[in-house]
Amino acid sequence: MAQFHLEMKVNGKAIALDIDPGLRLLDVLRDILHLTGTKEGCGEGECGACSVILDDELVDSCLILAPQAYGREVITIEGLALNGELDPYQQAFLEVGAVQCGYCTPGMILAARVLLNHKPKPSQQEIARAISGNLCRCTGYAKIVQGVEIAASIKETKEGVSRA
Amino acid sequence: MPEYSIIGKSVQRVDGPRKVSGQAQYAADLNIPGALCLKVLRSKVAHALVKEINVSEALKVPGVVQIFTHADIPGINSYGIIIKDQPALTNKVRFKGDAIALVAAQDEASAIIALSLIEVTLEELPPIYDVKAAMREDAPAIHDRGNSISAYRVKKGNVESALKQAEVIITGSYTTQRIEHCYIETEAGVAYMDNDLLVIKAGTQNPHYDRRDVARVLGLPMNKVRIIQTTTGGGFGGKLDISVQCFLGLAALKLGRPVKIAYDRHESFISTGKRHPFYIDYTTAADKEGKLSAVKVRIVGDTGAYASYGPATLLRAAVHATGPYEVPNVDIEASCVYTNNPFSGAMRGFGTPQMAFACESQMDLVAQAVNISPVEMRRRNIFQKGAVTATQQKLDASIGIGKTLEAAWEKALQVMPGLGDENI
Amino acid sequence: MKKRGYGLANMWYGIGNTANPNPSGAFVDFLDDGTAIVLTGCADIGQGSNTVLAQIAAETLGICIEDVVIISADTEVTPDAGASSASRQTYVSGNAVRLAAEKVRDQVIAIAAEILNLPTETVNLYQGEIWNSNESSGVSIKDIIIKCRSKGILTLGHGSYNPVTTMLDPETGKGIPYATYAFATQVAEVEVDTETGIVEVKQIVAAHDVGTAINPQNVEGQIEGGCAMGIGYALLEEVILKDGEIQNPGMSTYLIPTSLDVPEIHTIIIEESEISGPYGAKGVGEPALVPTAAAIANAVADALGIRIYDLPLTPERVVAALKSAQEDSKKV
Repeated sequence: MAQFHLEMKVNGKAIALDIDPGLRLLDVLRDILHLTGTKEGCGEGECGACSVILDDELVDSCLILAPQAYGREVITIEGLALNGELDPYQQAFLEVGAVQCGYCTPGMILAARVLLNHKPKPSQQEIARAISGNLCRCTGYAKIVQGVEIAASIKETKEGVSRA
Repeated sequence: MPEYSIIGKSVQRVDGPRKVSGQAQYAADLNIPGALCLKVLRSKVAHALVKEINVSEALKVPGVVQIFTHADIPGINSYGIIIKDQPALTNKVRFKGDAIALVAAQDEASAIIALSLIEVTLEELPPIYDVKAAMREDAPAIHDRGNSISAYRVKKGNVESALKQAEVIITGSYTTQRIEHCYIETEAGVAYMDNDLLVIKAGTQNPHYDRRDVARVLGLPMNKVRIIQTTTGGGFGGKLDISVQCFLGLAALKLGRPVKIAYDRHESFISTGKRHPFYIDYTTAADKEGKLSAVKVRIVGDTGAYASYGPATLLRAAVHATGPYEVPNVDIEASCVYTNNPFSGAMRGFGTPQMAFACESQMDLVAQAVNISPVEMRRRNIFQKGAVTATQQKLDASIGIGKTLEAAWEKALQVMPGLGDENI
Repeated sequence: MKKRGYGLANMWYGIGNTANPNPSGAFVDFLDDGTAIVLTGCADIGQGSNTVLAQIAAETLGICIEDVVIISADTEVTPDAGASSASRQTYVSGNAVRLAAEKVRDQVIAIAAEILNLPTETVNLYQGEIWNSNESSGVSIKDIIIKCRSKGILTLGHGSYNPVTTMLDPETGKGIPYATYAFATQVAEVEVDTETGIVEVKQIVAAHDVGTAINPQNVEGQIEGGCAMGIGYALLEEVILKDGEIQNPGMSTYLIPTSLDVPEIHTIIIEESEISGPYGAKGVGEPALVPTAAAIANAVADALGIRIYDLPLTPERVVAALKSAQEDSKKV
């Protein structure tokens, strides 16, 4: 099969690869780039464990063919903690106990990030709606919603500080 | 001494930082260069004898390294936490999803092609999907021991005479459904040989049990099998059974090469345990004040093709059938029965959520019959200090049911304004 | 029309395997620098056992949790701790870790008492220091461990715990199936749409007696997650079979609760300390889910005045029940 020359940005780094064009973005991230923080849960876009951010938008990477990411920017969970320091979302999830088995956590955190990028101070209802495509079987979601609220306030404080 | 410094504190999870940063390695995240990909051929038929398995065409597929069947099992071809009734690779199919052959290939695509080329000759047997039909004397036996695996009895006092004297008798037949654990992480693992030590890394709820049954199936001493639990993405009882462990062990041992397997959601659904569907006949007797005098309960659980945790589920159901209420006369029987349905095993609660549905429905019905509120009905019957359970265990301490009832009710009155006088 | 209803359900749950031995083992190694390694076979599947066991070890050894490393669930390294099931790990493996850590602690106390010339009965380890009754001696635990080493004493401990149960009589079931029980009460508020049959859970109150809550946030997380799973069990989930074949083997056809299906859950932790539990703890994993479907079913019956005897309470089933009740009332 003819190879596809894929160029994209992943977590800020430029990537160039020759791949089988039938690969899903999820396969490229996990199997080729070894970014295994992105999980596969259902393979049909229902569970959200494979969520990544593609140009500011939350997508299920199991439903995106890798060539569709050509020339675009992908952010995975590995792109969040810079220099080993956890970002506000990660901190907040830890603080409120939003993590149990952790399998949905990367997708949840990315969903939260997309939400807060568009809406810095969401209501609980808006948070619940924003993460409704990300399934969690452990937590009952309450602490995840709380985690997103806390992340919003940490973020606000941090940005306030950096602006000042 | 001052008070506890760490007990009772909501310290952050020790595994939290790895999980929020995506660094935690679940089984499917493990990457061993050169590891062979494993795929399982599963039955589409529910009940049959495997007469012949022809792998010659499948072996010709480029990239296919080996194909294993029941004939390749070096040890005893059966496992199970309570009853060793489940073959790793079977020569008798008992449900749609039973494992017949295992392909080891250099890549997934070759393995999938090979699966389609394995020729299996089956002699079909009449399937039994209905648990009541499976209990009949003349039903075809799914296992040699017959279809009724175990029956548990909990008896106390004299239920028949209590029923005669009762002022209120409520009878109900309840059914509960089969459900799936649906942990977000499906089953996966890797295995390799470390000299003569077989190492298996997989998501599991019970690595030491896994070791016991992998050693048995592979004919290895237990200290030559090392099971390492990988970060596990939920279990809820569904990862208590053997799933991928024997496949990984068999291929790594026989081939001397690293191997990897990962179930997709479909395979996870069709091949692993479920919550038992229950059929419950429940009779409750009480006096006109709502004080319970007797319960008579009959429970049948459909454990499907293999026992898994079925006996433990039905036993626990029997023991808990009265709910947290003191009942002087009890007559409880619970049966665990094979069918040709997907097998049922442990799932969060082991039969008690099923029983709570029946028991608590009955409590409301009795309350209605004697014209008291549901909460008052419970107040009059919950375990107090010194209460004697259905198994005649005397409860002396740490009996929080009175407190949970009052605390929950008080909170409910506060947050649920619609909870009016008629409910109290 | 939308009808509201309220339902109550209780539950009890025996901690550990039923009338069967189910021991757990643990090893503790207290190191020269005052940090510790705990070896346990207990599998953390997300419920948080590694955290809870680290808390128990740290409390017993008098050190902070950051100084405890838990190595778990590796059969070549860790002792058997049984299954992460039956809501047993906090109680059973918690006790094994506590016992192992107590052995180490007692070694350290003996040497500390000798060196500091104190009676062993009043010496304890707390927040990194050797305490005598209610005050710190100012001597660090680390210094005493170094003293132990200089005397040729390795501070190692092992512990195992098996809940006290008996067999059950095969005819009557008489016996002690569990050493201790967790209890709970849940109240559910629902709204039922009588046209569509859709049941919406509005809120749940969940009061759980877990013994001592070693980590209250984890306990809350278990309860919230259990309630969510209970909502799925009550209303949404069913593996549908046709001739033994699963008709909905995927997440697009088998639906589990999303964030929009789970309402506010008011958790209440009741701590009826259990004398045989580690620091009084019992368990919570399964109890969290056990009464939820029952409470929802009672709430639906309250809303409709009609009882449905089969789970799950799907819209189809609710509509059918309403219809058949209507027909019955016409006959009368």
